[in-house]
Amino acid sequence: MKPLQSRPAPGEALPAPLPLPPRALLAPAAVPAAAHPSAELWAGLHLPGLADARRLEELATQMHAFTPRVSLEPPDGLTLEVRGSLHLFEGVAGLRTRVLAHCEAQGQPAVLSFAPTPLAALVAARAGKSLAVLSHAQLTGQLSALPLSVLRWPQPVVERLQRTGVRTVGAALRLPRAGFARRFGAAQLATLDALTSSTRAVRRLFRPRERFRRRHELTCEISSHEWLMNAFVPMLGELEQFLRARGSGVMQLECRLLHRQGQATRCQLELAAPACAAAQLAALLRVRLEALPLPEPVRALELRAATLLPRTERARSLWQPGEHGGSAGAEAHELIERLHARLGSGAVHGLALLDGHRPECAWTLSAPPPLARHGPLCGITVPAGPRPLWLLKQPQPLPVRDGLPQRRGPLNLLSEPERIESGWWDGGDVARDYYTACDPHGVRLWVFRERGRPHGWFLHGIFG
Amino acid sequence: MNAAAAAARPAYAELHCLSNFTFLRGASHPHELVHQALALGYSALALTDECSVAGVVRAHVAAKERPLQLIVGSEFRLDCGLRFAALAINRQGYAQLCRLITRGRRQAQKGQYRLSRADLEALPLPQCFILWLPGAEVRAEEAGWLAARCPHLRFAVELLRNGDDAAHLRRIRRLGEQLRVRLVASGDVHMHVRQRRPLQDALTAIRLGVPVAEAGTRLYPNGERYLREPERLARLYPPGLLQESVQVAAACRFSLDELRYEYPRELVPEGHTPTSYLRELTEAGARWRWSEGVPESERRAIEHELALIAELKYEPYFLTVHDIVAWARSRSILCQGRGSAANSRVCYCLGITSVDPQRGAALLFERFISKERNEPPDIDIDFEHDRREEVLQYVYAKYGRERAAIAATVIMYRPRSALRDLGKVFGLSVEDSGKLAKVMQWWDGSAQMTERMRAAGFDVGAPWLQLLLPLAQELVAHPGFPRHLSQHVGGFVIAADRLEDLVPVENAAMPERTVVQWDKDDLNDLGLLKVDLLALGMLSALRRAFELVNAYRGTKHTLGTPQAEDPKVYDMICAADTVGVFQIESRAQMAMLPRLKPRCYYDLVIEVAIVRPGPIQGDMVHPYLRRRASQEKVEYPSAEVREVLHRTLGVPIFQEQVMQIAIVAAGFTPGEADALRRAMAAWKRSGGLEPFRERLLVGMHQRGYSPDFAERIYKQMLGFGDYGFPQSHAMSFALLVYDSAWLKHYEPAAFCCALLNSQPMGFYAPAQLVRDARAHGVEVRPVDACASGWESSLERREDGEPALRLGLRLVKSLSEAGAQRLVAARERQGFASVQDLSARAGLDRGDLEALAAAGAFAALSGNRHLAFWEVAGTERALPLDFRETRGVVAGEGQPLLPLPTEGQGIVADYASIGLTLGRHPLALLRARLKAGALLTAQELKNTGHGARVRTAGIVLMRQRPGTAGGVTFLTLEDESGQVNVIVWERVGREQRPALLEARLLEVHGELQHQEGVCHLIAHRLIDRSALLGDLLTRSRDFH
Repeated sequence: MKPLQSRPAPGEALPAPLPLPPRALLAPAAVPAAAHPSAELWAGLHLPGLADARRLEELATQMHAFTPRVSLEPPDGLTLEVRGSLHLFEGVAGLRTRVLAHCEAQGQPAVLSFAPTPLAALVAARAGKSLAVLSHAQLTGQLSALPLSVLRWPQPVVERLQRTGVRTVGAALRLPRAGFARRFGAAQLATLDALTSSTRAVRRLFRPRERFRRRHELTCEISSHEWLMNAFVPMLGELEQFLRARGSGVMQLECRLLHRQGQATRCQLELAAPACAAAQLAALLRVRLEALPLPEPVRALELRAATLLPRTERARSLWQPGEHGGSAGAEAHELIERLHARLGSGAVHGLALLDGHRPECAWTLSAPPPLARHGPLCGITVPAGPRPLWLLKQPQPLPVRDGLPQRRGPLNLLSEPERIESGWWDGGDVARDYYTACDPHGVRLWVFRERGRPHGWFLHGIFG
Repeated sequence: MNAAAAAARPAYAELHCLSNFTFLRGASHPHELVHQALALGYSALALTDECSVAGVVRAHVAAKERPLQLIVGSEFRLDCGLRFAALAINRQGYAQLCRLITRGRRQAQKGQYRLSRADLEALPLPQCFILWLPGAEVRAEEAGWLAARCPHLRFAVELLRNGDDAAHLRRIRRLGEQLRVRLVASGDVHMHVRQRRPLQDALTAIRLGVPVAEAGTRLYPNGERYLREPERLARLYPPGLLQESVQVAAACRFSLDELRYEYPRELVPEGHTPTSYLRELTEAGARWRWSEGVPESERRAIEHELALIAELKYEPYFLTVHDIVAWARSRSILCQGRGSAANSRVCYCLGITSVDPQRGAALLFERFISKERNEPPDIDIDFEHDRREEVLQYVYAKYGRERAAIAATVIMYRPRSALRDLGKVFGLSVEDSGKLAKVMQWWDGSAQMTERMRAAGFDVGAPWLQLLLPLAQELVAHPGFPRHLSQHVGGFVIAADRLEDLVPVENAAMPERTVVQWDKDDLNDLGLLKVDLLALGMLSALRRAFELVNAYRGTKHTLGTPQAEDPKVYDMICAADTVGVFQIESRAQMAMLPRLKPRCYYDLVIEVAIVRPGPIQGDMVHPYLRRRASQEKVEYPSAEVREVLHRTLGVPIFQEQVMQIAIVAAGFTPGEADALRRAMAAWKRSGGLEPFRERLLVGMHQRGYSPDFAERIYKQMLGFGDYGFPQSHAMSFALLVYDSAWLKHYEPAAFCCALLNSQPMGFYAPAQLVRDARAHGVEVRPVDACASGWESSLERREDGEPALRLGLRLVKSLSEAGAQRLVAARERQGFASVQDLSARAGLDRGDLEALAAAGAFAALSGNRHLAFWEVAGTERALPLDFRETRGVVAGEGQPLLPLPTEGQGIVADYASIGLTLGRHPLALLRARLKAGALLTAQELKNTGHGARVRTAGIVLMRQRPGTAGGVTFLTLEDESGQVNVIVWERVGREQRPALLEARLLEVHGELQHQEGVCHLIAHRLIDRSALLGDLLTRSRDFH
C-alpha cells in the first residue's frame, strides 16, 4: 500500500486521472485502501514521563476533540479509535499533526503511532516509533523489531524470555503458542494475541469527569448587590439539583461576576464540609457579596464547581445542639464557615500542641477543626513546669534593677527555675531559666533569664 | 585549688553515671568521665552503664593512674518500668551483678536486654547497693517492693532543674521516712561536660531513628546531666544527701584488681600436677620433633622455659592450648600457631607451632613470656577457615557455655558510619545520608572530611553542615565513639568456674555464639587468659590440595612434608610466578620477588616481613636489597650487633631485632625491651616513645656506639610503628609460603582446584586463578551437570595427567542441597535429558535456572537459550510415584530461538560462574581498542622504558596502602595479561570518578621498567565501562 503520510504539497499534481469520490477531496490520503474499509484504526499515544492520573484524564478529556472513543492506558498512555475521524482531520498525517500539536501546547511530550489494534499502536508509540500501519498484513513485520520491554510484562517473565534469547516482540511471536503459554503464562499469550488479533478490540471508554459550570447573561447591567444575589439564587438551585442527583457536594465554589471591560470579579466560597443545599450556599454567598467591591456593573454571572465530592447526608437532630446528648459539632461547622466568610479565611485558626521543649516551638496555629487533622497531640510529654495560655510572639526584654526584673515595679519570683536548653540544630538554640513571677498588681507572669551573657530577663507569657 | 575553695567545696561522689558504653545514650568516654570527676574533686565515681560493664575496664585503667575511687555498677530498667542502679560492694556483689546482667542480655536479642521483677527475685543483689531511680511520677509501690528485698537500699534524688525539683524531693523524702530508707544525691550523668549536649541529643535521635528536629520532648529538656561542680550541687541539694553519696561510695570497696583469673583445671590427669604433666607432654613432643635426639642447646632452652612457666604458673594455659590443637589434629584439621609463640620450644614440642628452632635465628623467649611483665602469654593459632567452626564448637562443648565465650570487639564510629547516622539526624533521607557517607573513601581520614565534602559538591558553609561536622569529628576522634559490641574474630575466654561471675556474657549476632562484654585490650589489662582461634583460608586450601594430590598419586603429603629447599620452586618464586601462593601473591610482593630473589627458607621469611609498611617507612628495604646485591658494604659496629643482625645483612627488619639491639647495645633488660615493643606499636596514636629514646641513646653511647648509629636505630623504630613484623610470625608464615609454592609448581591442577574450593580467600578471584592455571598448561573443563561434583575436582586424562573440572559450587544461586541431590541421582544413572534430571534430582526451578545460566546443560540440551527453554518448560516437581513414569513432556517441537553470540556467552559465563573458559572479553573489543592506539599488556612488556603509551583493561584490584602517601595501585587485565598502574595522588584526586568507578579503564601514561618489574604511571584515566555492556566484573578493593 502507498504510504499515507502526507497530502501532496501545494502545486504538486494530484495523482489522479481517476475520478475521485467527493469525500476523498476532503482527505485524499485518508481513504483506506485496505480490504476492510470498516476495520478499526487505532492511534496509540505514549506520554513519556507522565505519572499523574489526573493529568492523564485531562488529556483524555481533551482528546475527545478528535474522537469520542478514547481509552485510558495508565499511567502514561491513551488509545484512540480514529477510523471515523480520519476524514475530518485530513487523514492520518493531519490527525498526527494536530494531536501532537495539542500535546506540545500542553507542554507534554508525546509519541503517536497508528495500527489496526490498540495494543499494537500503543506499544509502537512506547518504543518511540511514529508508525502508521494501516493493514493487518503489515502489522507483524512492523512490530517484530520492537524490544520486549514495550509490552510491560512482569520483570521475571521478561527476564526468563531474555534468557532463552528472546529479546524482541518478533522473536516472541515466532514461538510455539502452547509452549509459550506453558512457560510464560496465558496472560502473556493473550497479550501477544491482542497485538495482532483481527477481532474487534474491547476497550473501556473514558468518560470525562463531571463538573458544574453555569453562565447566566443578565438582561441588563447590574451593580446592586441585592439584585445580583437574586440572580444567583436560581443558579444555586440548579447546582443543588445537580449535586443531589449525584449524591455529591462541593467544598469550593467559584462565583465570577463578568464586566463589560476589565477582569471578572471573583469570589471563592470555602466550606468546612461537602455541601449542596442552595439555602446554605446562598447565605454564605450573601455575606461574601456584601463585602465585595464592584469596579463596574456586572454583565453576566458564572458559577463553577470543579471538584465534586461524595456527601453524607446528615441526620437532622430532633434536639437542639448540646441538648440531651445532641452534638454541637454540626453547627460549629456553620459557625466556622460564617466566621471564615466574614473575617477571611486567614483569620480563623485552631491551636495544636507540638513536640518540643522550647515554648515557642511547643505549639502552633492549625486549621480549625474539623479541617484540622488530629494527631500531633498524642505522645507529647507534658512538661512538669507550668505553661501560660497566652504566650507572647516575641519575648519582651524586661528592665532590671537590683538584680530583679521589673514590670510595673519589681517582680516577685514565685517558683524554682525550670531550665530549658534546646534547639541547637536549627539555629534557635536557647538556654534559659524560666520562673513564674508576680508583678505588683498581682498579675502572674512567665519570665526567663538567659543563661548566656548578658543574662537578660524577658517576659514570655501571661497566666490567665 | 586553694584551701578556701576546697573548704567551700562539699564532698560528693557521683553514683549514677553512664558512659558511651551505654550505646547511643552516654555522650562521654569512660576516661573523660574519670578525668573530669578528678578535676572537680569528686571523692568517687560509679560507672553504671545500662545493663553493662563494657566500659568499666577503661575507666578502671584511667582511674588507676590517679587517685580516684571507681565503683563498678550498672543501671537497669525492668519491664514493669522500675529503674534502679546497682553498685558492687564487694567481690560477691560484683559476681551477683554480672549474673543479673548476663541473664538480662541472654534473654534478649543481641544488643538488648530484658529483665523482670521475677529475674531480680531469682538473682538478688544482696551485696550491692541499690539506688532506686524514681521517675517524674514517684510510685510508692516500687519503693515498697525494693525495700522488702534490698538490704542496702537508697532512694536516689536527681534534681535536674525541670521546674519541679522541690516537689520531687518532698515526695521522695516522704516515702523515705515511711519506709525508713535514706536518700542520696545523684546526677543521672550522661556526659562529662555540658558542652556535649548537642552530641547527646544527636545520639538520642540516632537511637530513636528520627531527625533531631522531630525528636521533640524525647530529648532531654536541658543539659544538666553532666558532672556538675560540687558548689553547684550544694546550692541544689540538702547537705545530708551529698554526704550520703560519699558514705555509700566508701562502703563500696570492690575493685577490678580483685579479679583473679583461674585457668581450667580438668586437663591434668590423676596423679599429675600441671607442672609434671606439661613436662611429660613436652618431653614426648621433643622426642617426636628431634627423632635423633634432642640437641643439648635445645634441651637447655626447654628447661629454661619450663622453669619460667612453672614459676609463673602458666602450665594450665599451655595444657589448654595443647588440648585444642591435639583435638584439631585428631580431626585432620590443619592448624599452626602464629606470632610470638613461635619463640617457644615448648610450643614447638607441643605441636602448637611448627618453626624448628634450629632453622630460626636466635629465638627470643622473652618476647613470648617475661617475668617482669607478668602478663599472660598470648597464643594465636590459625585453623582452616572453613573448619574453624568445628574447633569453636569443641571448645564450647568441652567447657560449656557458662565457662567459655568469645571476646567482644567494640565497633567504633568510622567517618562513613558517623556521616551516615548524622545525616539522618539532620533530616536527610536514607539515600542522601548514604551519599553523604560515600563522600568518604575507606582510606580517608577524618581530617579530610570537610575537604571531601566540598569536593563532592556539598555546600560546606550550609548551617546544618557547620553543625554536623564538629559532631562527626567528635564521633570519630580517637579512640572512636563506641557504637555496639560485636564478636572478636576468635579470641576465646575460658574460665575455671562460671565465667559470668567474672564478666557478663551476652548474645552475639550469630546464633549459638556468646561474647563477654570486654574486648581483648580489656582482658589484657585485667590479665585474663585468651586463646585466639583464628581462621586462615590458606590452611583450608593446603589441606584440600594435599588430599587431592594424595588421592590422585597415592602419596602421603601434609604440611612440612614436601621436599625442602627445592631450587625449582625458588626459580618459580624468583620469576614472580606466584598467583595463589600464600602471602607472596600480592602485587607488592610480586614486585619485590625479582629484586630480592629468594633462594632459601630464610629468604622467604625476610620476603614476607619486608614488604610491610614498617620496613618500607623505616627505609630498610633499599639498604637490604643493595647489600644483598653486594652493591653496599655490610658493616657492624660491634660483634654483639653483628650477632643480632648478620642474618639480615646488618639491616633490622624484624621487631625482635630491634629489641635485641636494645638489649645488647643499650643494656635494656628483656622486660624493658618488650615495653619498648609495646611503645613502638602505640606511639603513633599516643606518643610515649621519648623516654626510650633517652635510654637508648645514653645506653648505646655508654657502650661505645656512635650517636649516628643510635639515631638510625631509633629512626627505624619510629618507622616500625604499628607495622613491624615479628620474625616469629614471618617464620610461621614462610613455612606455608613454601608448601603452597611447592604445590603450585609440581601440582598446579590440584593447587588451583583446592584454591577454588576454598573461596573466598586470597588475593585473586577464581577467574584469575583459572587463567593462571591454564597458562601453566592445566586443562580446565567447564561446569557440566553430567560431570561436575559440588566441588571442583581432578579428572584423569588419557595421558595420565590431571585435568581440572570446575565444580557446581561456582554456579551462582545454585543451592548446595540441590547440587548434592543431582550428584547422587547421577551416580545411580546418567541423565537422559533436562526433564529427566529435574525429575530425578528433585530440583526446583531456581536451581535449574542457575544450572542453565552456567551452561551446565550443554551436553543435555545444547546452547543456553535452548537450556532455558527446556528449564522453563519443566513441570514442578511431581510426587514421588510420578517421577519415574513421567519423562519428556509430549512433543512441543523445537522452538525457533536465536543462537547466543560469543559475547553473550562470555557475559553469561561471568554472570553465573565469575569466569569464562572462552576468550577474554577484551579480545572481542580488541579491534575497537586498536583503533584507539591502545596496546595490550603483552605489547607493553615489549615497549621501552619511558615510552608514552595507552592501554585499557578490566580493573581487577584497587589498592591504597595507608603508607603510600595517597598513591593508588591498580591492576588491569586484558586478554594477554596484567598491567600494574600507579596513580599518584594528584592524578587520582583530579580524576577520582574514573579511578573509583570504572570497570573497564583506559589509561594513558608513561611506562617504567625496573629490575624486571613493569609499571605504568598514569597521567590520564578514562572510564570505558560502557564498552563492556552488561558484563559483570567486580574489582577487589583493598586497604
